[in-house]
Amino acid sequence: MPAALALLLGGALAGCAGSSRLALPATAPALPARTEIRDLAFFPEAAHQCGPAALATVLSWSGLSATPDAVGKQVYSPALKGSLQPALVSSARRHGRIAYEIAGSDALWQEVAAGHPVIVLQNLGLSWNPVWHYAVVMGYDQPQQTIVLRSGQTARQSMSYRLFDRTWARANRWGMVVLPPSQLPATAEERPFVAAVIGLEKARQWPAAITGYRTALARWPKSLAARMGIGNSYYAMGDLTAAERAFREAVSLHPEAGAACNNLAQVLMAQGRATEALQAARQAVALGGPLAEVYRQTLEEIRKRLETDAAGESARF
Amino acid sequence: MKSKDWLRRLVCALMVVSLLVWSAPPQAVWAAWVETESVLNPSAADSARARLEIFLARQDVQAALQTHGIDPREACSRAASLSDGEILRVADRIPEMPAGGSALGVIIGAGLVVFIVLLVTDILGFTHVFPFVTHRR
Repeated sequence: MPAALALLLGGALAGCAGSSRLALPATAPALPARTEIRDLAFFPEAAHQCGPAALATVLSWSGLSATPDAVGKQVYSPALKGSLQPALVSSARRHGRIAYEIAGSDALWQEVAAGHPVIVLQNLGLSWNPVWHYAVVMGYDQPQQTIVLRSGQTARQSMSYRLFDRTWARANRWGMVVLPPSQLPATAEERPFVAAVIGLEKARQWPAAITGYRTALARWPKSLAARMGIGNSYYAMGDLTAAERAFREAVSLHPEAGAACNNLAQVLMAQGRATEALQAARQAVALGGPLAEVYRQTLEEIRKRLETDAAGESARF
Repeated sequence: MKSKDWLRRLVCALMVVSLLVWSAPPQAVWAAWVETESVLNPSAADSARARLEIFLARQDVQAALQTHGIDPREACSRAASLSDGEILRVADRIPEMPAGGSALGVIIGAGLVVFIVLLVTDILGFTHVFPFVTHRR
């Protein structure tokens, strides 16, 4: 059991600890030989506060006014004298920002070259006696073979590729970019990006989530999840008209998607338009799919409502 | 004794109801709503999140959280902004727990609850009780 538990947070650990040498990827020849992000806030780290300091740095860069003290409450675990990665992810989302995790050096180069600072986790100690540390990668210099970091008390730390990669590899080369929802990470892929926006929806940052889904649709116009997410977010905000519009769009662009019909039916029902809702719910049930049980439930709810309404009508006469 | 028991039940019921109301997103009013995550991943329309939410909302769990100086709301907020995959890592650690009907069951149940609560809070990063839960800060 202890072994199983030890693996718990190490989900991302498995299989990515290979020791490839850090070098500009040959696959992306367009990357500049050296780059450095300017106008990045600097928060000298107080004791054990590297997580809050790193997060505040990237949140400020993304256009928010954030301080390590303010974000510390959301990410710092006093009992651990440190901050866990999921806490950083969750805090960024609660600030209405996309938290997009990256793994590996190719992604690191591309994000930094695109001007996105990257929070990285390093193990400055040894694998059996770890000293975990968060820093922000703000640049690199290929001819000099150095990485430029905001780290701890140092505003501009220049570290050799070799040393940096050793410390980074011991933390499984984990990194995270934090962006306004209107921007895509340089290395964005459809599923993980939409999943990151879903994180915003879960953090009840609905306007930010809507922006994020629109950003996703601009790149991947066929994403059903993004289109549904817009409707779900508007619905959560109580904007039934906008939610209906989004679901109708989803229905017309994805005529095979029962989920869109189902939620359209629910939104119509919420507006008291039972007859139209019934039609949409029937369509959902006809389409079926893995969520067919949900659609049947919707249809059932609407039928019941119509029956009670009809009973109420006849009782009045 | 009897009235105390009655009071305890009432407080418990009120707490559960208020927590459920507080933590429920508006769309939860409708049972048959499709969440965005289910669209992305229909097969994983699993109950991990629900299990964790129900767990965190339990009165005995709330009490255990507070005993250890953890604000239950902060615990829920941290859990709420995690993705399904992240939640699964936590929720998989919540086994089926005895409801605790008999006196003996209550004692065993209470001990187990504290154990599980600390396990979950270790994972969420509030506590560091179990050395075998590895943390990556």
